[in-house]
Amino acid sequence: MAQSTATTTATTTAPAAPAAASRPPSALRRLFRDRLALAAAVILVLLVAAAILAPWLAPNDPYLTNTRLRMLPPVWEGRGRWQFLLGTDGLGRCLFSRVLFGLRATLLMGLIATAIGGAVGLALGLLAAFYRRLDGWLMHLADILLSFPAILLGLAFAAVVGPGMTAVVVSLAIATIPTVARVTRASALVVMGQDFIEAGRAIGLNDRTLLTRYLALNCISSVFVYLTLRFGQVILLGSALSFLGLGAQPPAAELGTMASAGRNELFLAPHIAVIPSFVIVLLVLCANVLGDALRDLLDPRLRNG
Amino acid sequence: MAGHLVHRAVLSVPVLFGVLLLGFMLLQLVPGDVAQVIGGPQATPEVVEQIRRDLGLDRPLAVQFLLYMGRVLRGDLGYSMINNTPVISELAEAIGPTAELMVACLVWSVPIGIALGTVAAVNRGNMLDRLIIAVSVLGVSTPVFFVGLMLIMYAGYQWELLPFLGRAGPLWTREGLAHIALPALTLGLIFIGPVARMTRTAALEVMNADYVRTARAKGLAERTVIVRHVLRNALIPVITLIGLQAGFLLGGAVVTETIFSWPGVGRLAVGAILARDLPLAQGSILVLAVSFIVINLVVDVLYGVLDPRVAK
Repeated sequence: MAQSTATTTATTTAPAAPAAASRPPSALRRLFRDRLALAAAVILVLLVAAAILAPWLAPNDPYLTNTRLRMLPPVWEGRGRWQFLLGTDGLGRCLFSRVLFGLRATLLMGLIATAIGGAVGLALGLLAAFYRRLDGWLMHLADILLSFPAILLGLAFAAVVGPGMTAVVVSLAIATIPTVARVTRASALVVMGQDFIEAGRAIGLNDRTLLTRYLALNCISSVFVYLTLRFGQVILLGSALSFLGLGAQPPAAELGTMASAGRNELFLAPHIAVIPSFVIVLLVLCANVLGDALRDLLDPRLRNG
Repeated sequence: MAGHLVHRAVLSVPVLFGVLLLGFMLLQLVPGDVAQVIGGPQATPEVVEQIRRDLGLDRPLAVQFLLYMGRVLRGDLGYSMINNTPVISELAEAIGPTAELMVACLVWSVPIGIALGTVAAVNRGNMLDRLIIAVSVLGVSTPVFFVGLMLIMYAGYQWELLPFLGRAGPLWTREGLAHIALPALTLGLIFIGPVARMTRTAALEVMNADYVRTARAKGLAERTVIVRHVLRNALIPVITLIGLQAGFLLGGAVVTETIFSWPGVGRLAVGAILARDLPLAQGSILVLAVSFIVINLVVDVLYGVLDPRVAK
């Protein structure tokens, strides 16, 4: 996908990129006229708030086991108790509290991986567009990295450093770099062709100012849109790795790990696996809906993805 | 055509080299003594020394890499640390089931995805289109394991429709077919979304083309226009994009195999990593990476067949 967008944007030199950055308020207002995107944004904000406030919102200790209260169903089913809103898991831990803390771990994993991968990819993409001598090399490197699907990087890192959050975050960050670099390069090439870069050079600005002030700021909106879409995929991949037992290790609360633990009681107490999985779906769905809306608004060129 | 094939194959050599190099470098990152890790905690110093000499770990890195490449090319991937069988024979047993699963998934999900995408494009903007888009966005937002667990829970356990554990012989037997149904359904369900979405985009682009307007102007039936002129041309980008989704499919396969105890390479890799069986883990990751490259090569070649302009 990234390859096709890269080539199409590079060839059609449409002078559109910098416009969006200069009027963010109206763009935001237009975004929220789309009710679906508004709903997605509200849910995402609520989820993030719940994750941040987890220690204060959680009614019980997420790690406290109680063998007499194992596999309690959620309150809306007959045997549920109000003390355990979403019931308890196979070890009698409060599922609601664990979901709050699990959401925290999953979001943090996604944010760190997306931020690191995004920052490095952005830098490489900008450098490739700015210093044309580097371009060939950097894009070859990106191609080789692209030929390692994220899941394989995750498996490889887990094999070497052992299963854990570090392996997951590092592999997801690395997997994010090449596609971000391609998206950045494509939009940076368009910006590089414009007169104000030449003007900046003419008034004697150094490369650093040109790169950061003139080039980077004009590419940031496309990269941001792409990262929003990427964020959902990172969460999906990360939770899949955790589900396989290669990410967060028990007893840590992480949504993928929790869904995996729920497999043991799938037939007796399906809510233990279903509730964390459902939260993942909600999170990724909102990120995707918001990302799609942002893309249509700020950067329709990415639409092919 | 043959030239195109050779050209693409040659292009994948550096990538293959990169994969080998990365696999080799990863082994260098292993904390501690590799020979000790491969020998396991019970290995005596003599055994560890033997492993070190056998693998050439006492030689310079560049020599080690060449030795490693030589061994891989000869099909020598070492021995599994857990059951002491050659890694290559474990992989040989696992690769068939993985290929089966992939094919069984693609066979039904790609046609349905293409059909849904075309229907959405034809009905652009109305309820049907929106419904299909919504379903496909939901599809790309759902983890594979959620789909798998739900199918096990309902189709497997509560309604007792289909078996959900392991593989039961070749696909031409009733049992074999019944056992692959749920894994293939799981993997296919998450693949329909992206395919439908890509087809819709590609079809919309083609529908604006001049030759489609000409076809309509000739008075051809709408059905003929869509099937002959739109769909056929839209399929070209769709095939490429399916190739780019190979990584997504591979990841889905790893998870699906694990959930359904399907004896494929993905499950082998995950099991090996969890058991810290380094040679087996390395071998199975290598096979997965190579199959990813091969899938992309096949897609490239297919692309050349479908669109002769590319093959030049």
